[in-house]
Amino acid sequence: MKATRSAKAFKLFIAAAFALTATLVPLTSSQAAGEVKNQACKNEGETTGTFSSSLVCVKNSQGRLVWQTVKLGATKLPPVPALSAPDGEIDFYHWRAEDRTVFASIIAKFEAANPGTKINQVISTSADHEATSLQKIRGNRKAGLIVTFRGAHFNNAVAGNLLEDLSNQQFTKRNVIASMMGAGQVRGAQLGIPYHSLFNNPIYNIDIFKKEGWKLPKTFDEWLGYCRAAKAKNYVPMAWMGGFRPQAGQIINSALMSVGTSADDIATKVTAIDTGKAEITEAWFKTMAGKYAQLRDAGCFPPDPKGVTEAAGNALFATGKAPILPTGSFSMGGIKTLNPAMKNNMGITGFNWTNDRNAKFTGITNNTFILGVNKTAGATERRIARAFISYLLTGPIGQEYANGTTQHVTVLDVAYTDDDLRNTSSIMSERLLLAPRFLFLNLTVRNLVEDVLIDIVGGNTVDKAIEDGAKLIKQRF
Amino acid sequence: MTHVDTGARKGTGTRSPKSVQSSTRLKRIHDRSFALMILPALLIYAIFYLYPTLSNLRYAFTEWDGLLEPRFIGLENFTRTVTNDDIFRKVLGNNIEFSFLVIVFQTAFSLLFAIFLLKNTRTSIALRTLYFFPTILSSVSVALVWMFIYEPNLGALNTLLRNFGFDSLALSWLGSETITLRAIAFTQVWFHTGQMMVVYIAGLQQIPQELYEAAEMDGASRWQQFKSVTWPMALPTTAVVLAYTTIQSFRAFDLIYTMTGGGPNNSTNILVTLIYQSAFGEYRFGYAASLSVYLVVFILLLTWLQRRILRTKY
Repeated sequence: MKATRSAKAFKLFIAAAFALTATLVPLTSSQAAGEVKNQACKNEGETTGTFSSSLVCVKNSQGRLVWQTVKLGATKLPPVPALSAPDGEIDFYHWRAEDRTVFASIIAKFEAANPGTKINQVISTSADHEATSLQKIRGNRKAGLIVTFRGAHFNNAVAGNLLEDLSNQQFTKRNVIASMMGAGQVRGAQLGIPYHSLFNNPIYNIDIFKKEGWKLPKTFDEWLGYCRAAKAKNYVPMAWMGGFRPQAGQIINSALMSVGTSADDIATKVTAIDTGKAEITEAWFKTMAGKYAQLRDAGCFPPDPKGVTEAAGNALFATGKAPILPTGSFSMGGIKTLNPAMKNNMGITGFNWTNDRNAKFTGITNNTFILGVNKTAGATERRIARAFISYLLTGPIGQEYANGTTQHVTVLDVAYTDDDLRNTSSIMSERLLLAPRFLFLNLTVRNLVEDVLIDIVGGNTVDKAIEDGAKLIKQRF
Repeated sequence: MTHVDTGARKGTGTRSPKSVQSSTRLKRIHDRSFALMILPALLIYAIFYLYPTLSNLRYAFTEWDGLLEPRFIGLENFTRTVTNDDIFRKVLGNNIEFSFLVIVFQTAFSLLFAIFLLKNTRTSIALRTLYFFPTILSSVSVALVWMFIYEPNLGALNTLLRNFGFDSLALSWLGSETITLRAIAFTQVWFHTGQMMVVYIAGLQQIPQELYEAAEMDGASRWQQFKSVTWPMALPTTAVVLAYTTIQSFRAFDLIYTMTGGGPNNSTNILVTLIYQSAFGEYRFGYAASLSVYLVVFILLLTWLQRRILRTKY
C-alpha cells in the first residue's frame, strides 16, 4: 500500500514537473543541446517542456538520475484540435481580473474562428466569485462556463449538480496532463478541468537577495535567521497581508507540510478538524501555531500585520521594501503590473517549516482554476462552453495564456517563454505537496482556523488564540 | 350648520333612482380605476419586497446551503444564535457601538455644519458643496481611498503622523481589535454627514425668522436661541435624520466589507456583514435568513425608541 502511494506520489511529481517547470533551456524546441535521453542529468525534476518528446530528469531503476521521456496525457494519442462552436452567446464566470486582456485576445480569436459565437467575461473578485458565482449561474441559460476553486467551491458546485461530466471529451483525454486532473474529478467523473498549476510558495526579489548576499532559507531556523537579517537592514522581511484572509492564509499550506509524515496523514489531520472530529487544541496544531509565533517574534511580518491590505502587501513587495511575498506564483502577474521593473526579477522558493533539509515536503503546488460547463445552462450555450474549453486546451492557446498571464497551465505542448515562469523552475527541485489548505471543505471552519493564526501573528498568545478559536469552531458544529 | 341639498341647489330636485344608479356606477368605475392605478406599484412591491421578505422568513426556519432543497428545522437557527453563538453576540456588540458612534457624531456634525452654513452666502454654498461631495461617491471608492489612508505601513495618515513626530499616534487603523471599528465609523460619518447636513439645512430654513427676532428682542443669547428655538423647531428634522442615520449605520455593508471584511477577528463584523458571510461565504442561507429577521427587529426597535425619546409625530 505504502509502495503504491509512493509510486503515485512519484508519478504525480514527475507529471507536475513536466507541466510546471519553466524550462531551463531554449524553448523553441522540445529539447536542447546537452539533454539526451538515457544520459545522466543533475537536477531531479528538471524538464525540457511539456511536449510528448520532452525530457525529464528522473531516477532510473538503478537509482541514477537520467533524462527520460514520460507519458503525460491519459493516452498516447496526440492532442485534438478545438471543437467548433454553434452560433450563440455565453457568459464566462471567473475571478482573474488580471487575465482579462489575455482572455479577451483569446476570445477574439475563438470568435473569429467561430463567427456567430460570442463570449462575455463576467469577472468578480476572488472572494465574491467564491461567494456568489454558484447562485448566479444556477438556472442561468447564458452562464455556460464557470470556473471554480479547488476545494469547497468546486465541491459545492458538484453538490448542487451544476457541472457537466467532461470525462468522455477527447480534449480531456488527450490535451491535458492526466495526473493534474484530480482536482476536477469526483468518483471517477471529470466534472471540471483544472487549468492552472500554481506554486503557493513565497516569491522573492532576486536583485535584493543578490545585493544583500543572502542565500535562500532551506530550514525553518534559516527562515528565522533570514527574517532577523532582513529586518536589521530595514526591510519588511515578508509582505504578509494579515488584513486579507485569502492571501494571509496562503502560508498555512507550507505550515501544514510539517504536520504529517505523508500526504494522507496531513489530509487526515486537516479533515478531522474540518469535520469537527478533532479540535485545534491538538498537539500538532499547537506546535504549528507556535511556529507562527516564532516567525512573528523574529520580525518576519510587517508592523501592524493584521492591518496590511492586499494592495499594501503587494506594494511592499513590488517597490522593494519587502524582499519576500508569501503568497504564490499567481501573484507575479499582478506584481509586474504594479511595477514593470520586477519583470525577470522574481524567483520562487519552498517554505520548509521543519529543520530537516530532507523533510518529506518542502514546497506546495496546486491545480485550480477549474473550468466547468454549467449543466443548468441552455444546450447551445453548453456546446459553446465545451468548444471554448477545448480551445483553451490546445497547445498554442495554452501557451499564449500561460506566457501572457505568467501562469503555468496543465495543457500539453506548451512552452514557457516568459522569464518569470522560467525563473520559477527552481521550485521543481523541492518535494511538492498538493496544497492542503483546500482540504478544508467547510469554509466556516477554514476561516476560523486561519483567524486563529492571524491572531497569533497579530500578537495574541498561542494558547489564548487557540482556546478562543476552538470555542468558536465548536459552536459551528 | 345648514344642510344644502346639492341636487336642489342645482335645480334637479330629489335625485331619481336613475341618477343614484348612475352615481353608484361612477363610484364603482372610480374605485376600479383607482385599484388599477395602484396595481403596478402593488405588483412591484409584492414581487420585489413582499415575496423576498416572506421567503426570507420561511428560510429562517430551515437549514439551506442555497443550492439543494432547504430542510425545515423549526426555531433552531433562532435559538442557536442566542444561546450558542459567541460571534453573533460579538457582532451585536459591534453593531451597537458602530451605530451609536455614527448616530451621535453624524447627527451632531450635520446639525453643526447646517447651522454654520445656513445662510445662502457664496462661501456657505461652496462649503456645502464641498461637504456634500463625498455623498456622490460610490461607497466602494470611499472604502478604497480610506484603506490607503489608514494602511499602517504605507498609508497617508501614519506617514503624516510620523513625519510630524507623532509616532505614538500612528496606530494600526485597520488591524486593531479596538480601534478599527471606530476608524470605519469615522469614515462612515465623513461619508454621510454632508447628506444629512442638507436635510438639516432644509429643515432649519423652515423656521420662521420672527421667532429669532422675538428671541433677540427678549435678550436671548445665541445658545438660548439654539436651545429654545432652533432645537425644538428642528426636532422633526432630527427625527428624520436619526431614523435615516440609524438605518444607514445598520446597512454599512460596503465600507466594512471592502475595508476589513469584518476582521480582524470579527472585531468589525456587524450584522449585515455577518449575514453576507454566513450566506455567501459559508453557504448557510437558513442561518443568514434568521439573522436578517433579527436585523429587522433591531432596526424597528431602535427607530421606535428614537421616536419615543423625541416625542414627535414626524
